[in-house]
Amino acid sequence: MSIELHNYPQPATYDELIDDQLQPRPAARTLFGYLDRLGTTELMARREAVDAAIMAMGITFTVYSEAGNIDRAWPFDLVPRTMSLKEWKRIDAGLKQRLTALNLFINDLYNDQKIVKDGVFPIEVLEGSKNFRAQCKGMTPRFGVWAHVCGTDLVRDSDGTVYVLEDNLRVPSGVSYMLENRELMKRLFPELFKSSDILPIDDYPTQLFDTLAALSPRPGDRPVVVVLTPGIYNSAYFEHSYLAQKMGAILVEGSDLVVQADDCVYMKTISGLRRVDVIYRRIDDDFLDPEAFRPDSALGVPGLMRAWRAGNVGIANAPGAGVADDKVVYTFVPQIIKYYLDQEAILPNVPSFMCMVADQRDHVLANLDKLVVKPANESGGYGMLIGPRAAPEERAKFADLIRANPRNYMAQPTLSISTAPTLIDDKLAPRHLDLRPFVLQSDKLYATTGGLTRVALREGSLVVNSSQGGGSKDTWIINTGEA
Amino acid sequence: MLSRVAENLYWMGRYLERAENTARFINSTTQVLLDLPRDAAFGWDVLLKVAGVDHEFATRYQRADEDSLMPFLIEDEKNPSSILSSIHNARENARTVREVLPMELWERINSLYLYIRENAARAKQGRGPRNEVLLGVIGRRESIIGLLTGSMSRDIAYQLIKLGRNLERADMTTRIVDVNSAVQLPADPALASLTSLRMWISSLNALSAYQMYRNHVGVHVRANDVVNYLLKNPHFPRTVLHCLAEIEGCLSVLPDHGAAMKKVRQAWRRVEAMQLDDLKPVVLHEYLDQVQRDLGDVHSAVARQYFHLHHQASEQ
Repeated sequence: MSIELHNYPQPATYDELIDDQLQPRPAARTLFGYLDRLGTTELMARREAVDAAIMAMGITFTVYSEAGNIDRAWPFDLVPRTMSLKEWKRIDAGLKQRLTALNLFINDLYNDQKIVKDGVFPIEVLEGSKNFRAQCKGMTPRFGVWAHVCGTDLVRDSDGTVYVLEDNLRVPSGVSYMLENRELMKRLFPELFKSSDILPIDDYPTQLFDTLAALSPRPGDRPVVVVLTPGIYNSAYFEHSYLAQKMGAILVEGSDLVVQADDCVYMKTISGLRRVDVIYRRIDDDFLDPEAFRPDSALGVPGLMRAWRAGNVGIANAPGAGVADDKVVYTFVPQIIKYYLDQEAILPNVPSFMCMVADQRDHVLANLDKLVVKPANESGGYGMLIGPRAAPEERAKFADLIRANPRNYMAQPTLSISTAPTLIDDKLAPRHLDLRPFVLQSDKLYATTGGLTRVALREGSLVVNSSQGGGSKDTWIINTGEA
Repeated sequence: MLSRVAENLYWMGRYLERAENTARFINSTTQVLLDLPRDAAFGWDVLLKVAGVDHEFATRYQRADEDSLMPFLIEDEKNPSSILSSIHNARENARTVREVLPMELWERINSLYLYIRENAARAKQGRGPRNEVLLGVIGRRESIIGLLTGSMSRDIAYQLIKLGRNLERADMTTRIVDVNSAVQLPADPALASLTSLRMWISSLNALSAYQMYRNHVGVHVRANDVVNYLLKNPHFPRTVLHCLAEIEGCLSVLPDHGAAMKKVRQAWRRVEAMQLDDLKPVVLHEYLDQVQRDLGDVHSAVARQYFHLHHQASEQ
């Protein structure tokens, strides 16, 4: 019996499900009791059923290749990641605190810039920000909220501390996989959902719709909400289509929309033009409106910024919200929370060094073999240096990059990221993982219960991105009865 | 419904139908070839005109014969009407509108595409294998229709697919009838009549209509009866009038259908009024051309009404 825990290696770092005595943590007890009764043979049979279910449900992501874009099945591990409700409540509060403060911060930056005037946030960082959009100055979107949908990446270090790794405030993706993972688990292990206190997650599409509908410039009506996608060749197209379906919204491409002389946005239907109230856009700022941003963009809608500034359409996330999605801005978030809310951050940042500050830069350059170096504005794990694993030449290349453009880099110590048992061949083996909860804000705040757990399927790997060999797990927040 | 989505659905319907019909057209032609007496001549160039691909063909091929024409019609990626191109186009149309289609439909279309890509080479190994491969296309296409019929609401999306399908189908029926004009009958009157009989049976077979014809018209296959049946019979699903009635039904569910409906009824009246008995081949050919032009007018009216907003985008 290979799923027996005495075969599981002694954890080298914090394990989410197993303690140092190789016993299940409280939130994982029901799960392991169940796996024991199920037995290996049956577990293997269900894993085979997973692949068939993934194909049947059509859960895919798109991989770019020379032979054209291929829809790949989503790699899924059927051992869920568990967490106690008690711990989750603290994280939930921390996430909401963080997004509230970030939205106050963004609104301040585009208006009075008090935080700069008060000397809390350096003007040099703002001036070096690629994602600060001058076109948004003077705007206060409804409720003062700019980032309506935030995907916050959390990791746990070996001592058990949960850190915020980054705030994704532009077009965070992955929530459809969170929902589909739960659907898969319910199909495969219906018994478990009867017997244990796993909190539900399936109200996300409704919450997202309400968050978006609250942005409508025509309150009272049933607002027309659309999901704006770059199109079928985007790697997250599945998610765009999925969320549109779940919300009863219309999936549109830029060419389906037009801004008329009245500065309102319309979609082109078979019965003529129809007014659009709210756009959930899954296109980056740069491509949103060729009149305001990149003129060569064929994905966007000419005049969209005009319509938004005139208050005739809600856009989520608001253009320019990405100014706070910057790894250098990230290092200031604890001060930002303190400044706007007069509270200490509930969720700590990973200790970070800013390369733009001379003595911190010197420390980074002297310790490149121990640090992870990240560029300010990349996402998806691209453009990073993982010092301890990099070749000396690569470290030398990064040293040059940092000296040439210090504002664009920050560095963090390599964390010993937590693991969880993952079914590899016919054994449970520890694999590193993170957690991306999704937080919504418009007239009210909402956080998903848990989030998307991404797992690095290659042994020892720390990279969880689906484009680079990552998979995912269902995430169970368990009511263990603790206060 | 978005104009773009509407147009994709309509063309998905047309391209799938075109793929199946091209397969039927080829099998019908092959049948005619097999049945031709030695001294009858077959005009490959006429066939190209009937299929409406003569210009495209002439840009890349010197001589029209079976060996060059068949791959051109089946697997030539540069021929936008080849079976492979049609299925590829239908697949691309379907990709962008998956959210309004039954989930399995995409998988079926995808597997039809994989089938023709993998089997196109086998179709070059002779008339037997070719027939087999093409029957495989027809069968898979029929299962797609079955899926739509059995698992899709009769919503606007459904009507647009059906509209495209019937327009394409009516058009191809006129072309399959027209194949016969590509044959120069032998001089001997007895042989000529036998040949003609064989050709009309092939036309009926190409449209899977032979048995229904026997049930509803009679056992004797006569040119006049076949032409009347394939153009005017209201009950058989591939006749021109039946397709026009289906198109009318689809349009009646769509908003603002006035202009397009007028064109459908105009086409209907013209077919209805056609005196089809004892026509010389060249006159029949002209009549069929007229029907094709009327169908083209229906298409233009549909496109103007429902797709034009989407097209304004690409012109900007």
